[in-house]
Amino acid sequence: MKKNRTYHKKKTVIVFGVFVCMLLGLAGRMFYLMVIRSDYYSEKAQELHERERDIKAARGKILDCNGEVLADNKAVCTISVIHSQITEPEKVIAMLVKELGISEEIARKRVETVSSIERIETNVEKSVGDKIRSYGLDGVKVDEDYKRDYPYEELASKVLGFTGGDNQGIVGLEVKYEDVLKGIDGKILTTTDARGVELSELGESRIEPVEGYNLQTSLDKNIQMYAQQAALKVMEEKEAQGVSILLMNPQNGEIYANVNVPEYNLNDPFTLNTDQDTSQMTEEEFQDACNQMWRNPTINDTYEPGSTFKIITMAAGLSQGVVDLDDQFSCPGYKIVEDRRIHCHKRTGHGAENFVEGAMNSCNPVFIEVGLRLGAETYYHYFEKFGLMEKTGIDLPGEAGTIMHKKEDIGQVELATISFGQSFQITPIQLATTVSSIVNGGKRVTPHFGVRVTDNDGNLIEELSYETQEGIVSSQVSEEVRYILEKVVSEGSGKNAAIEGRTIGGKTATSQTLPRSENRYISSFLGFTPAENPQILGIVVIYDPQGVYYGGTIAAPVMKDIYQNILPYMGIEG
Amino acid sequence: MESRKKKEKTADGLLIFLVLLLVVCGLIFLYSTSAYNGRVKFHDSAYYFKKQLFATSLGLMGMYLVSFMDYNFLVKMAPFLYGVSLLLSLAVLLFGDEYNGSKRWLSLGPLSFQPSEFAKVAVILLLAWVITKGKEENRGILYMAGRMAILLPIVGLVGTNNLSTAVIILGIGVILIFVSNPRYLPFVGIGGVGVVFIGIFLGMASYRLERLAIWRNPEAYEKGFQTIQGLYAIGSGGIFGKGLGSSLQKLGFVPEAQNDMIFSIICEETGLAGGCLVILVFGLLIWRLMVTATHAQDLCGSLLAAGIMAHMAIQVILNIAVVTNTIPNTGITLPFISYGGTSVLFLLGEMGIALSVSRRRKD
Repeated sequence: MKKNRTYHKKKTVIVFGVFVCMLLGLAGRMFYLMVIRSDYYSEKAQELHERERDIKAARGKILDCNGEVLADNKAVCTISVIHSQITEPEKVIAMLVKELGISEEIARKRVETVSSIERIETNVEKSVGDKIRSYGLDGVKVDEDYKRDYPYEELASKVLGFTGGDNQGIVGLEVKYEDVLKGIDGKILTTTDARGVELSELGESRIEPVEGYNLQTSLDKNIQMYAQQAALKVMEEKEAQGVSILLMNPQNGEIYANVNVPEYNLNDPFTLNTDQDTSQMTEEEFQDACNQMWRNPTINDTYEPGSTFKIITMAAGLSQGVVDLDDQFSCPGYKIVEDRRIHCHKRTGHGAENFVEGAMNSCNPVFIEVGLRLGAETYYHYFEKFGLMEKTGIDLPGEAGTIMHKKEDIGQVELATISFGQSFQITPIQLATTVSSIVNGGKRVTPHFGVRVTDNDGNLIEELSYETQEGIVSSQVSEEVRYILEKVVSEGSGKNAAIEGRTIGGKTATSQTLPRSENRYISSFLGFTPAENPQILGIVVIYDPQGVYYGGTIAAPVMKDIYQNILPYMGIEG
Repeated sequence: MESRKKKEKTADGLLIFLVLLLVVCGLIFLYSTSAYNGRVKFHDSAYYFKKQLFATSLGLMGMYLVSFMDYNFLVKMAPFLYGVSLLLSLAVLLFGDEYNGSKRWLSLGPLSFQPSEFAKVAVILLLAWVITKGKEENRGILYMAGRMAILLPIVGLVGTNNLSTAVIILGIGVILIFVSNPRYLPFVGIGGVGVVFIGIFLGMASYRLERLAIWRNPEAYEKGFQTIQGLYAIGSGGIFGKGLGSSLQKLGFVPEAQNDMIFSIICEETGLAGGCLVILVFGLLIWRLMVTATHAQDLCGSLLAAGIMAHMAIQVILNIAVVTNTIPNTGITLPFISYGGTSVLFLLGEMGIALSVSRRRKD
C-alpha cells in the first residue's frame, strides 16, 4: 500500500485552487453577460419571441374650407391566416372561397404556405369580416382596418388623389401630405414559441395607434361642384377632349376649385373613365392608361398659352416703359419680322389702334411690336423675374416645368412668337399664378390647397404657410394691367364673360396644339374680379373642342356662368 | 491493518448532502427545461423527466452500494473494466446509434447506453491502479509518458465520435500524473507542448478554425445559432431571473435545451443569483472531493478522489465556459443536471467511490 504523501496532498490542493479560480472566472463572465450585457441580450431575445401585428392608424381626413369631409375612412377588415394554428385547413379553404370569392387554388396556396402569417385579403367589408369571424375557425385572423372613402367620389379627383392597399397615398394631396395624414400605426405584440405558436398565458400587449391629422384645404366643395358641372356641360357641348378649370384667390394663392373633367371615381381608381376596352390591354398599357387618367392637366401638363400670355408681354412692356396706354399702333393684318410675315388673327387688320385697343382686339402685331421693343435679353429677364422659369411650388406632386427657348436661341422671330404666347409651353397653374402676381399689385404667391393641419377635435396643429415674393411689378403697372384687362372684358374680345354690375378683367386665348397640321385647338379664358381689387381669379381651358374653337366664344361664357353663380355665394361684390 | 479499524467511520455527510442537492435541483431544472420539448416531440411533458428519474434512482442505489465496497477491490478490477470499456467503445463505432450526427449510443432494447461515460470511470480506476503499482522512485518524464500512453487506445476510440469526452479523459490523466509526481517543472513543459499541439490540431482542419470564428462572433454565423440562443437566454435572465418555469428560450429557441445548454436556461429562469448558486454548489462538491483526496488513508484512495474531482471540475468548467461562449462550442454535459441517463448513473457511481474513500479517511 502506497502512502498518501504530503506532496500528493499539496498538489491536489493546487489543482483544486486552479479549478476554483476558473469557476470564479466563469462567474465573472456570467456577471458580464447577465448584468452588463443583459439589456442587449434581453432585447434581442424579446425581438425573437415577439410577433407583432399592426393596428392601422386611422388616416386623417381631408376637409374643404368649410369643414366638409372630402376624404374619409370607413372600417374594413384584413383577413390573414396563421399556418401553425390552423386545425381544419379544408374548412378554412372552403370558407375563404365562399366568403371572399377567391379561387380555391389561391385559397389553398395561401393556407398551405408555411409562414408565420399570410395575408389573404385587405379592404374586406366589415360585414364580411364579421361573418368570417363568426365561423370561429382556428388560425384565421380578422383584423380591423380602415379604408379610404371619398364621399363625393369624382369630386376633385385629380387634386385629392387616392390611397393604396396599405392606406398610403399614391397620387395627389394624399401623397403630398402623407406625413400629416398617415398617423402612427399601433401594434399588437404577442409572445410565441420557436414554432410561432402564441403563448396565450402571457397575453398580448398593445401599442395604441395614433390617428393621423386632418388636412383642411382651401377647396370649397360647392364651388368645386358648380365648376365641375360647368366643365362637364361645355365638354359635352363642344365634344371636347377635356376641360380644366382653376379658381384661386390671387391675393394669397389659395385654390378654391380645380376641376379637370373627365374626373375619375376615387373609390374605384383602377376603372378607366373612358369607354376603352381594357380586356385587350397588356398590364403595362392598362397602367399607362390609369396614369394618364390620374394626371392633373392643370399642373402636370404644359401647353402653349396663346393670347392669355399677352398679359405678361403687356406687364413687361409697361414695366420697362417701352409702351404706354396711349401709344398708337397700326395693324395691316400681319407683321413682317426678319423675312417672316406673321399674321394677325384678323387677316384684314385692325387698322389704327392705341395699346389698350390693341389688347382689346388681342392684336398680334401690337404685341409683337412691344416684344421687339423690349428685345430678347430684356424680355427674357422679365420672363425670369415674373417667376415663369421656376415651378410655382404648388402642393401637388409632379408639377411640370416651363419649356422655353434657350436665351441665346431667341432670335427676332422667336421673340415675336413668344410675345403672343406661342413657341413655348407652360402649365395652366403657372399662367394663373403669374397673372395673379401681376394683378394683385406685384406679389408672387404660391398656389396651394393645404391651409392648416388640425387634430380630430379640431385643435390647430399647424397653420401652413407659403412663400411670397414682393415687387414682381410695380403697383402702377399692376393697376394699368387691371385697367386694360377690364376693358378687354367690358368692350373687347372677352365681352362674353362680362356680367352687368360687375367689373371683370380677363383675356381670351386660342392656341393650336402641335403638330399644327392636325388642327386641334386649346381654347382658354383667364378672368378675375373685381377688376380693381381681384378676389377670385379663374382660368378655363378647353382641350380640343369641335366646331367653333375661339376662346372668346366658348371659354369666356363658361367663366361668366361660374362667376354669376359663385360670386353671390362667396359674397364678392363689384 | 490500519484500514480495517477505520472501516467503522461514516461516509462524508456533507458530500452526500451536496450530491443529493444537485440531483434534486437537477431533476427540477430538467423537468422545467424539457417539458416543452417533451410535449412537442412525445406528447408527454414528463417524458425526459421520467427517464432521468429512472436513471437517477438506479444511480443512487449504485452509489449506496459502491460506497460500502472497498475501493481497493475496484482498483484491482481496473484492467478488466478498462478492457470492457475499450470493447464497448469499439462496439459503438460498429453498431452505435447515431443521434444529432454523432454515434454515441448502444441500444439494448428500450435502454440505451453511452460507453464514453463508463470509459471516464474506467480511466480513473485504471490510472489509480497503474500509478500505485509502479515504483515511486522512477517517475521521470518517460515514465509519465508511458502511463499516459495506456490511455491512448480509449482516447482514440472515444475521440472518433466524441472529441470533448476524449479531452476530459486526457485532462483527468494529466491531473492524476501531476498529483502523483513530486516535480513541477516538467508539467510546465507538458503545458507548453499541449498548447502547441492544440494550435496544430486547430490549424489542420478548417472546420475547427470556423468554430473559432463562430466563437468570436456567433451572431455572424448560421452555425452560431445554438451559442447565440444560449447567450440570449443567459442575458435575458438578469440578476434574479424570470422565475422557475418562465423561460421562453427553452420553447424551441435553444435547441435541445435539456442537454448541453441547460445551464443557459437555469440562468434565464433563476438569474445570476441562481447560476452562481449552482456554481457554488459544484465548488463545494469539488472542495469535499479535494478534502476526501487529502484525507485518504492511502495513495490509491487519494488518486481516486482526485480523479473524480478532476472529472467533475473539468466537466462543469467546460460546460459553463461553452454555454457562456467563453470557449468555442463543444458538446459537454453539466454533471447531474443535463439530460442523460448513462451520465448520471456513472457520476453517481463515481460519487459512491468517493464516499467509499471518505469512509476510510485519516483524520
